[in-house]
Amino acid sequence: MKEKHIRELINDNEVTIVKKRKKTIYEKIIYYVFGTILSLIFVFPLIYMIAASTKSEIAIANDAGTIRMFIPDFAHFSSIFDNYATLFNGKYEVGRHALNSFIYAGITIVLNILINGMAAYAICKLRFPGKAFFNFIIMFLIIVPVESSIIPLYLICRSMLGFVDKFSILAIICPASISVFNIFLFIQFFSSIPKEFEEAARMDGANTFQVFLKVILPLSKPILATVAVFCFIGVWNDYLWPTMVLPKEAWPIQATLTVINSDPAAETGQKMASLVITSIPIFIVYVAAQKYIVKGFGAGGLKL
Amino acid sequence: MFQIAIIIFAVLLFIFGVVVFVDVLLAKKNNTKYHTKQVITAFLFILPAAIFAFFFIALPILYSLGYAFTDTGLFEPDGGKFIGFENFKAAFEEIKNGGTLAIAIKNTAIFVVLVVPLQITVALLLALFCNVKYKGRTIFKVCFFAPVVISLAVTSYLWLILLDPSSDGLMNTILMSFGLPQQEFLRNPDTTMIWIVIVSAWQGAGYQMLIFSSALSGIRKDLYEAARMDGCNAWKRFWKVTLPGLKPTLLYILITVFIGACRIMVQPMLMVGSYDPKAITISYFMYGQAYDFPYLVGYSSAIALLMTIFTGTITFLQRKLLGEKRK
Repeated sequence: MKEKHIRELINDNEVTIVKKRKKTIYEKIIYYVFGTILSLIFVFPLIYMIAASTKSEIAIANDAGTIRMFIPDFAHFSSIFDNYATLFNGKYEVGRHALNSFIYAGITIVLNILINGMAAYAICKLRFPGKAFFNFIIMFLIIVPVESSIIPLYLICRSMLGFVDKFSILAIICPASISVFNIFLFIQFFSSIPKEFEEAARMDGANTFQVFLKVILPLSKPILATVAVFCFIGVWNDYLWPTMVLPKEAWPIQATLTVINSDPAAETGQKMASLVITSIPIFIVYVAAQKYIVKGFGAGGLKL
Repeated sequence: MFQIAIIIFAVLLFIFGVVVFVDVLLAKKNNTKYHTKQVITAFLFILPAAIFAFFFIALPILYSLGYAFTDTGLFEPDGGKFIGFENFKAAFEEIKNGGTLAIAIKNTAIFVVLVVPLQITVALLLALFCNVKYKGRTIFKVCFFAPVVISLAVTSYLWLILLDPSSDGLMNTILMSFGLPQQEFLRNPDTTMIWIVIVSAWQGAGYQMLIFSSALSGIRKDLYEAARMDGCNAWKRFWKVTLPGLKPTLLYILITVFIGACRIMVQPMLMVGSYDPKAITISYFMYGQAYDFPYLVGYSSAIALLMTIFTGTITFLQRKLLGEKRK
C-alpha cells in the first residue's frame, strides 16, 4: 500500500516537473542566438538602407566589406543629413511629392469613411425594400477573386469620366474611396451598437444624417481608426495607379521613387534616403496604430 | 462606351427594382409597412456608395469581360469591334508558339511554385519560434514583421541596390566574405526569378507569421498536455496537435498567398523592367500589352479573363479539398 502511494506521489511529481520544467541556461542561449540571427536576416537590408542613406558615395565605397556598412556615418555628423537635404531642396522636390501623398491619403480617408459608413449604416439600421440586393452584391464581391481590372478602370477614368486630363486628383481619390470590404466591416460593427442610442437622439429631434454623424460615428471610433489606418497604408503604398493617371508633378512619393532610382546621376546614398523618407510615415503609422492594425488583421481572418 | 454603361446601369436597376417589388409585396402580405421617409433616407445614404461602386468596381469588371471579345485599342475605347473568341485563339496560339505569353506563364509558374511553400513554411516556423515563451520575443516578432511595413516599390528598389551584380553590391560583399563566388543575381536569367522569390518571401512572411501566431495562441493548451501525457515528443505534438489546429488558418493563408503570387507584377517591373523575358510575368504582360505598345486592351482583357477563371477554380478546389474536413 505504502509503496503504491509513494509511486503515485512520484508520478504526480513527474507530471508537475514536466509541466513547469525550468528552461536551462543553454536553451536560453540557443534561443536568443538563433533568434538574433533570424532577426538579422530580416532586418539587415533595412539597417543597411538607413546606414547608407547617411553616407556619401565615397564613404559607402570605403565602408564596403566592413561592419561599418551597417552603421550610420557618425564620424561626419554634420553631413549625416546631406542626402536628405539634397532630396528636399534639389530637383527631385521630395517634400512636395510627400505632401501630395498626405493630401491624397487624407481626402481618401474622409471620403472612404463617409461613403462606406453611410451605406453600411443604411443597410444595417434602416428598414427599406431591396436590402437583399445590396447584401448579395457585397458578399459576392468579397468572395470572388477578380483579376486586375486596372486597364478598364483607367479607360473609364480617362475616356468616360475625363478625370485623367482635367481632374486627375479625382482619379486617385475616387476609386480608393469605395471599398466593399470596409462596408462589410462597418456593418459588423454597427450591428453591435444598441438601438437606444439612436432612439434617444431621435427623441431630441435629430434627423437620420445627424444621428449618423453625431451618434453612430463617435461610438464607432475603433472601427474608424482601423479603416483610416488601412486606407492610409493603401493610398500611401500604391505605386502603379498614380503613375498611370497623374501628371509627373502631381505624383505621390511612391511614384517619385522611380524618378530618383532610375536616374543614373543619383547617388546610392540619395536613393537610399528616398526609400527611408518613403517608409518613415508608414513605420510611424504601424507603431502608433498597432492595436487597430491587429484588429484589421483579425477582421481579414473573418472572411473565411 | 457611355451607351454600354447606361445599358449595364439599366440592367442593374431592373434587377434592383424586381428585388424591391418582391420585398414590398412580401411586406403587404405580412401586413408590415415601410416608412416612406425612412426608405428615402436609406436610398440617399446608399446612393454615393452605389455610384462609386458602379463606376469603379462593377463597370471595370464588366468592361474587362466585354473587352475580351473585342479588338479594342487603348486610344479608341469605343472603336472596338466584336470579334468573338479571336483573342483567346491568339492567346493559345502564342502559348503554343512559345511567345512572350508562354515565357510569362512559365515565369509566373516558377514564382508561384517556389514562393507559396517557401513563404508559408518560413512564416509558420517564425510563428512557432515566437510562440515559445521567452522574454523579449516581441522584439524578434517586430524584426520579422518590419519588411511587411515597407511598400512594394521601396522593397524592389532597395533590393535592386543590394543585388548589384558588381563586387561592390551588399549581397556580393556578404557572399564573398563567406568565400562564395560573386553572383550576377537579377542579370543571370537562371537566378532572376529565384531572387524575386526570395525578396517576395522576405517581405511577405512576417504578415503570415502574425496570422499564424494568433491562430497558435488559439489552440487549447490542454490538448498539448494530453499529448504529452500520452508520450508524444515535440515533433509528434506538432503533427498531431498544432497542424490540425491550424487547418482553417492554413487554408486561408494558402488561398491568399496563392492568389497574391499569381498576380505578381511590381517586383519584376521595377527590379528588371522593360518586359524583359527573364522576369516577365502574366500580370506584367497583361499590363504591358494594354498600356504600352501594342495597346491591345482586348487581348489583355482576354488573358485577364483566363486568369480569373484559373484562380477562381484553384481557390474553389483548395476550399473544397482542405475545407471539407473542417466540419
